[in-house]
Amino acid sequence: MLSQTLSASLLGVDGVLVRVEVDVAFGLPGLTIVGLAGSAVQEARERVRSALRNSGFELPARRITVNLSPADLPKEGTAFDLAIAVGVLSASNQLRAEDPSTALIAELALDGRLQPIAGAMALVAAAREAGVADVVVAVGNAAEAAAVRGIRVRPAATLGLVVRHLAGLDELSPAGPTPLPEPEPAHDLPDLGDVIGQPLGRRALEIALAGRHHLALCGPPGVGKTLLLQCAPGLDPPLEEDEAIEVGRIYSAAGLVDRRKPLVRARPFRAPHHTVSKEALVGGGPRVRPGEASLAHRGVLFLDETLQFRADALDALRQPLDSGSVTIARVEGALSLPARFLLLAAFNPCPCGWLGTRGDACRCDPASARRYAARLSGPLRDRLDLFVRMEAPRGADGGDGAEPSRLVAGRVAAALQRQRERQASVNAELPLGAPELDAALTARGRATLQARARRFRLSPRRVQRTLRVAQTIADLAGSGSIDADHLDEALHYRPERAAA
Amino acid sequence: MIGVGPHGPVGNADPVEAPATVAAGSAGRRPAPVMRLSSASGWNGFELDGLDVERERPFWLTLGLVPGVGPVGFGRLLARFGSAEAAWKAGEEALAVLPRSVPEAAVVLRRLRGTGPEAVARQMSRAAAQVGARAITALDPDYPPPLARLDPRPPVLYVAGEAATLAGFGVAVVGTRRPSGYGRSCAIEIADELGRAGVVVISGLALGIDGEAHRAAVAAGGRSVAVLPAPIDRIYPPRHRSLARRLVAGGGALVTELAPGQPVGRPDFARRNRIIAGLAAATVVVEAPDRSGALLTASAAVDQGRDLYAVPGPIDAAASRGCNRLIADQLATLVTSVPALLQQLGAARGVQRPTIKVLSETEGIVLYALLRRSGSIEELMSRTRLPTGALASALTLLESRGLATSYGGATFHPTLAARRLGPHA
Repeated sequence: MLSQTLSASLLGVDGVLVRVEVDVAFGLPGLTIVGLAGSAVQEARERVRSALRNSGFELPARRITVNLSPADLPKEGTAFDLAIAVGVLSASNQLRAEDPSTALIAELALDGRLQPIAGAMALVAAAREAGVADVVVAVGNAAEAAAVRGIRVRPAATLGLVVRHLAGLDELSPAGPTPLPEPEPAHDLPDLGDVIGQPLGRRALEIALAGRHHLALCGPPGVGKTLLLQCAPGLDPPLEEDEAIEVGRIYSAAGLVDRRKPLVRARPFRAPHHTVSKEALVGGGPRVRPGEASLAHRGVLFLDETLQFRADALDALRQPLDSGSVTIARVEGALSLPARFLLLAAFNPCPCGWLGTRGDACRCDPASARRYAARLSGPLRDRLDLFVRMEAPRGADGGDGAEPSRLVAGRVAAALQRQRERQASVNAELPLGAPELDAALTARGRATLQARARRFRLSPRRVQRTLRVAQTIADLAGSGSIDADHLDEALHYRPERAAA
Repeated sequence: MIGVGPHGPVGNADPVEAPATVAAGSAGRRPAPVMRLSSASGWNGFELDGLDVERERPFWLTLGLVPGVGPVGFGRLLARFGSAEAAWKAGEEALAVLPRSVPEAAVVLRRLRGTGPEAVARQMSRAAAQVGARAITALDPDYPPPLARLDPRPPVLYVAGEAATLAGFGVAVVGTRRPSGYGRSCAIEIADELGRAGVVVISGLALGIDGEAHRAAVAAGGRSVAVLPAPIDRIYPPRHRSLARRLVAGGGALVTELAPGQPVGRPDFARRNRIIAGLAAATVVVEAPDRSGALLTASAAVDQGRDLYAVPGPIDAAASRGCNRLIADQLATLVTSVPALLQQLGAARGVQRPTIKVLSETEGIVLYALLRRSGSIEELMSRTRLPTGALASALTLLESRGLATSYGGATFHPTLAARRLGPHA
């Protein structure tokens, strides 16, 4: 007898619907799983065998073949257990399913209980995309699965209950949709009010967050680069619902989600250590897992001591900085992970940290200082929008600098709101030569931009990026057009300064 | 005891009074002189006039290749044997009079004797000519007069470019390889003014202050001389190769004591610095931390009785500690301003105020604040009471008009053009 059930497999952070075909035939008794099944899938044989027996069913002493289709897609993980078990029951006539189009996504324990799996949000979403109306998941995955809208999620505790549901005896009641939580006021975050001085750094951080422009701070140790950038989470507006679901899917796939509260409103803030490998930073490895770049999706990727990161890791960031996603090439084909983050970078100007600062002079050999600065490779520097050279404040003159995070966060949110009302994306993600930007540019602004491009020998890419930053500065000022002053301020933060 | 102070060919215009001698207490903290004056060096009172230039020339070029034969050793050879030719003929016996015995000297001498001095000299001249240079001995009429006053003087110089520039009135502008924005700004302003005034700017082509000084002098249409710590066919540092070319193209010159193709060893900074100080009527140390090579040039200038000036820096700046100490020890005259320095050097010239497009009120305020004192955005904010954004924007405009620069640091400085506008632009 032949049967077919539905499950899903994780590919990066996306799910793929998988048909589980089970054939029970005469022959030497045994259970074979084909369809590029990885080792965790192969072990499903033992889990299914025990779970069936301990749930009061039996594994027929026949030759059983399980095919996971599409068969050319490598499959990993334990999400197929339930679908295989139910498939075996159907194929051996122990169950006549009322509705074979329910997706079954759960791992089995030996006693027949359903266990939660990683990536439930992505898998359930894949089922929904494929037109599946019902999905059964382990109770532990219920909140994650129900965060996906447009599909009935039926949490179940045991294999026995799933069989009763499928047989039309006792319906598993659907879970209510997981609500989007209210934004929680963040506490024990550093506040801008605690940062001494650094008006330029504050201003640049505000612009960076208000338009999602990549920012780098350069300065000697102890001037507050790290503290300033750590204030970013307290300034970032909460995630919108669609964003929260996108982020939730990534964290679900990475196994980093709080299973009871899969949706969060706080924007991600990822601060990997500088020893991080390329794979851990952008994703990859034998089983593709999202890297820090994807975990920072819709949030902030903070690279403290940026120039100490491995060169190949920094290089790998170029693609997500350009396209908002990471493409990982595999023998079986390329796979794409979302990675639309705001890069906040902080580094010292030279190995000892004191190059070009007032007072205490640098003790590095000029050649080694140069090599160090060259690590901010041209291609990476080109993709930065804002660069600020910081120096220790002289004296304790705070001025208007002690502005608390609350006030700045208000301006950031207002500027982002202006962008949402005007256009489809934030300023930093406007396409090159976007008509919105061109329309907003005043005649004086256009002349200024052309003159500065010649004077500072700006690349066409820099001109476009400057225009986007200037748009954000105009948004912060509540101005409807981009004028010369906005452009001049934007150019003050041009990353080409880092080369001098 | 070494007499210092603004005497000599320059410094005639209202010099700052410096004591004629240095107190014993402060002399102990002074950097050690590069090379001690010694009446036994053989050059003092030795008459070169009696020697036949053409006949001697090959022997001068060849003897200079023997390890251990530096300016001092060469002088001793002349004093002992009467001519380079006679010293050459004496063979290995001549090595005994050298100030220090180098084991390889005998081997090298034997090899050179095998080739013959004429062939060696031809080789040297050809190698020099390949990079547009030639050899000038102390016997040649175009040997730079300032160096002829040195004792001991370098017997052979290799010069690329205009040798006559070496005879001109020159001022050395030297300093650290790791300057601050302030140091760069001062070096540029001083070298620019000297270049405009027709004074030859002499330096060592090193990274940092030296490079800025050469660049600014050439940019101002002036002439500049670079004294190299390496052979003429090996421009050191390599990153300044194009600067060296521009220098020569602008009527300047490259000079070195080291013969072409000499073994590539450590660049000889001490000998280089002695020539820098020797070529210059006065030396200006722009920015130098403790133990800077520029301090060697300074002490060579003092030893040679040339005028020494130092640009003061903040007392908390390690980069200026050497300069400040030169001033404190009364070895150098304090530079109060660039116009005053030019006056003291006797190179002052009429001030021309360039015209500039009108600045807005905000930009005028920022420029005025910058001209009073360089500063970071934060300092300028507290002085101008302008908001961050407006200040950042105004600075970009000033930068684009060439009136302000940050040299890649956090501190903004007014440029030369801005200073010439005067404080009431």
